[in-house]
Amino acid sequence: MISARAVLARATPVLACLGLLAVWQATSLVLNNDSFPTAIEAIRAIPLILGDKEALINILASLRRMAIGFGVAVAMSIPLGLMMGRSRTVASFFNPLLMVIYPVPKAALMPIIMLWLGVGDIAKTLVIFLGVSLPVIYHSFAGAKAVEEKMLWSGAAMGLSAAQRMTRIVLPAALPEILTGCRTGLVLALITMITSEMIARQSGAGNILFNALDMGQYDTVFAMIIIVGAMGIGLDALFEKMRARLVKWSEPQFDIPVSFS
Amino acid sequence: MPSRSNIQAELKPARKPAAAMIEIDHVSQTFQTSGRQNHLALSDISLTIEDGAFVSILGPSGCGKSTLLYIVGGFVNPTQGLAKVKGRAITGPGPDRGPVFQEFALFPWKSVLGNVMYGPRQQGVRPAEAEAQSRALIEMVGLKGFEDFYPKELSGGMKQRVALARTLAYHPAVLLMDEPFGALDAHTRTRLQNDLLNIWERDRKTVLFVTHSVEEAVFLSDKVVMLTRGPGRIRQIVDIDLPRPRRRTELLLDPRYQKYLVDIERMFDDADENELPP
Repeated sequence: MISARAVLARATPVLACLGLLAVWQATSLVLNNDSFPTAIEAIRAIPLILGDKEALINILASLRRMAIGFGVAVAMSIPLGLMMGRSRTVASFFNPLLMVIYPVPKAALMPIIMLWLGVGDIAKTLVIFLGVSLPVIYHSFAGAKAVEEKMLWSGAAMGLSAAQRMTRIVLPAALPEILTGCRTGLVLALITMITSEMIARQSGAGNILFNALDMGQYDTVFAMIIIVGAMGIGLDALFEKMRARLVKWSEPQFDIPVSFS
Repeated sequence: MPSRSNIQAELKPARKPAAAMIEIDHVSQTFQTSGRQNHLALSDISLTIEDGAFVSILGPSGCGKSTLLYIVGGFVNPTQGLAKVKGRAITGPGPDRGPVFQEFALFPWKSVLGNVMYGPRQQGVRPAEAEAQSRALIEMVGLKGFEDFYPKELSGGMKQRVALARTLAYHPAVLLMDEPFGALDAHTRTRLQNDLLNIWERDRKTVLFVTHSVEEAVFLSDKVVMLTRGPGRIRQIVDIDLPRPRRRTELLLDPRYQKYLVDIERMFDDADENELPP
């Protein structure tokens, strides 16, 4: 038997979305502005986009770039962050470099990268890579730094070499923190994916959005915003499911349930 | 009955003539503090620990007693001097010296069984065999039924039992216990002391046990090494000549046990008076 409180807790995110749509619908009816379609008009446009083969190819191309950028960034950032966390020399070498890059909006680098690499996949994937890297590096760094010295000593006494201690103690011990960084990275990947396509207008989900804006198809614009938002929620929920499985051993922490999982 | 306190490091062995397991030879340890000043933590420690002896290092906090244990463990290199295990110079950690820390230092991503199996698996013991041995050890430390629990689901006392089993699992010749019961409540602490002695009675490994509790040191040990407050020097080595196996309830009524406690407390009191600034 599920308690009423549990039902309410599950229903809350759905209610919040419905509430937002209701406010949207009411506001747009009151304002009666061409560039602000009603929620219902925007929702009606969604199947038109998803039913269009070319639009689907565009969205899938975006997701592919995002997956590659995210994957490569995670694969390179975790080892770097872990090494920074365990070696003062490595940390003091990379820290200043990263501090310079961190506050720069990665999409702002897009025009320069386009000059070098063109408007194709490579430039856009590189920008996503840059966007994802920094939070993953910093969280891996913090996670590795916080690993208890005595845990490593216990491993050393069992005969683990320095390299084994890195992969078999530091990595799993830092995993909860690493995954927090990856979750931030995933959201940033989606954001940089859209902004990169906004600047390099050639293909992709961002391209559909801004083409529609140019042509005054505001229902399509808002439908795309809903689609991108839904992709974000879906990816985050998927990631959360995986994260919860991987670190079910870790001490519970205060999570904000942003996903529908 | 007179106290058997003696200043000499090597006294007549308690049971049988035994070989030296650990030799600490004129070891000093200096740390650099944040103000770039050198802080002398240990000064000229020489000590021999025989095979099979239960030796406690007793001293006030900050006397460097844990540092001495870390040097034997190979986790810290002494600034001066040399430590040896079975006649070989210690250059780093090794499975012949198994640590048990106050902080437990369990692997939180491994179950109780996974933690205990970790050492044997690392030593190349086959999975089935390692598991059977580990299950037996878990039962021995009183945690049968908790094999699949994660450390976060255990109390402090249970965690320390797992840590002990994890270290015993790779058969170290020496157990290095760094205030292992310091973070536990009085009741749990007493129970773990009793259980540790029972387990130790089975194969009488060499134990180096760091504590700041006089009672704990006297109850457990064959020999209590008293250190002075920083820099740590050996103040006195007291042989504890009490029969084994020891029962707490019997010891509490034993005048010899009481005298050891009083003598050692007195020595610390005298020291505190002597060390007051003029």
